[in-house]
Amino acid sequence: MTRTNVAARRTGTVIAFSLMLLGALTMVLPFLWMVTTSLKESRLVFTFPPEWIPDPIDWANYLEVWDVAPLAVGLLNSVIVTVLVVTVGTFSSTMAAFAFAKLDFPHKDRIFVALLATIMIPMVVLIIPQFLVFVQLGWIDTLLPLIVPGLLGNVTMIFFLRQYMLGLASELLEAAKLDGAGYLRIYWSIFLPLCKPAIAANVIIVFMATWNDYIGPLIFTNSPENSTVQLVIASMSSYYKDQTDYPMIMTASVIAVLPVILLFTLMQRYFVDSFAFSGIKG
Amino acid sequence: MPTTTARPTRRFNRRERIWGLAFVTPITLQVILFSLIPVGIAVYAGFTDWNSIRDTRDFVGLDNFVEFLTDKYFWIAAGNTLYMLIPIPFYLLFGILFALGSHRRTPGSTLFRVLFLLPYVSSVVALVVLWKWIFNYQYGLVNQALGAVGIQGPDWLGDPAWIKPTIVIMIIWKMIGITSIYMLAALKNIPDVYYEAARLDGASPVRMFFQITLPLLTPSIFFLTVVGMIGSLQTFVEVQLFTSDGGREYSAATITYYVWQKAFGSGELGLASAAAFFFALVVLALTLLQFRLSRRWVYEGE
Repeated sequence: MTRTNVAARRTGTVIAFSLMLLGALTMVLPFLWMVTTSLKESRLVFTFPPEWIPDPIDWANYLEVWDVAPLAVGLLNSVIVTVLVVTVGTFSSTMAAFAFAKLDFPHKDRIFVALLATIMIPMVVLIIPQFLVFVQLGWIDTLLPLIVPGLLGNVTMIFFLRQYMLGLASELLEAAKLDGAGYLRIYWSIFLPLCKPAIAANVIIVFMATWNDYIGPLIFTNSPENSTVQLVIASMSSYYKDQTDYPMIMTASVIAVLPVILLFTLMQRYFVDSFAFSGIKG
Repeated sequence: MPTTTARPTRRFNRRERIWGLAFVTPITLQVILFSLIPVGIAVYAGFTDWNSIRDTRDFVGLDNFVEFLTDKYFWIAAGNTLYMLIPIPFYLLFGILFALGSHRRTPGSTLFRVLFLLPYVSSVVALVVLWKWIFNYQYGLVNQALGAVGIQGPDWLGDPAWIKPTIVIMIIWKMIGITSIYMLAALKNIPDVYYEAARLDGASPVRMFFQITLPLLTPSIFFLTVVGMIGSLQTFVEVQLFTSDGGREYSAATITYYVWQKAFGSGELGLASAAAFFFALVVLALTLLQFRLSRRWVYEGE
């Protein structure tokens, strides 16, 4: 009885492991192909059967790609937008979350529900009028439409951060108030440090969304000086449609994808854990 | 005594009100400026012949609605939009499978989790560029592999019959990882006692899956179906990047693509706003319908 049980469990684990391995390969092989292609000389790209390890490994594309497309400008713009949105936006979001979770002020619940309701507005309805608003503000073809809204916070993140803060003891607030600490101080030195895991998750998700954004730059900017990295890659791809210089495009893609993958790998624990407190009942 | 305690409390309350309002001011401003005012403009624009090229902006009543509802391309786009729902059951199924595998604590499951999420965290632009290469008609990996076993692969990106399946495959591939993370979180929330009790009753693993695991996953499946549907119906970036004009015979264009093309291609801001507004109402109706249907199959607990 026990022996068959152990055997059955072991078979189960072997099946599960093989399944996972197969899945992981499906996820990773395309990325390996991206890297492999970026390390090939153009003339070796179309060999059959496909070469998974280029011979010779050719790093030249990583030097040349900067001259082929305005990649440096794109990266710089993406860094400016992402860094500003992630840092300032995190403060705006955590402050709002702190107020909604722990402070008392008029119409608190009504404001919160109204904010949440706006998440439901589909992007397709917003793109045209947002464009018109930015035209009025004179922000078209600048980075401002990509930066300013993000500086003010993110409703989805406020929702998650508020959930997290609701779980922190309110006695901390009362005790600090009795000690005469101001609200800014209470937020800064008590609640902010306690929220580190939730903030880490917030940082990854906002970083990803901002860095990877394509629709915003596509609609609100048009000159190459204001392109973000995603726009540069996209225009490279359509420009090279017939020339098929795949090594160069893959090189640019590797460079564009690397920052997100690095950050994600470093902080994946927070990313994964954030789903545990995201309020989904199981 | 009561007066001395009441005064500071009132003072704290006032400060708390001021700080509370101050803390939520940025996000409130953002929502007013970049969501609420735009929605107002969108509704207004939908009833005008707002055109950025002809420079018109007159009230035209329901003309826009008549125009897109009688436009052949709008209905092709509507069909393609529904097609984009196909990935959902597939990534739910694979997501659950991988979550179950992960939950067994197979060796290397943390590494697997990171690898599974690679497509999800990468930009759609990079994925599409990569996909164009892998699915290249002549030299792509996929057709070379098919060729090796004697099958002539299709022209994935050029053939109107294959462009949608290509996009669908990419979306499934991208979404499996994040689905399995959600499902894993849900699996971890199922108390072990349920399984212990079932085991004592001699239930088989298959029976336990269908009687315990699956019912308890239904709230997560429902959540992901609703979120997935709202997202899938708005598929745009893939279409815009894979095709230059919606694909041959408009074979890949979705409604969001139609709206984008009308607004920013031919400057018909009024028509595009009307179509977007109409579509948003359809999405809302479908979402409400799902909530209604959910009562029949989503486990709600005791």
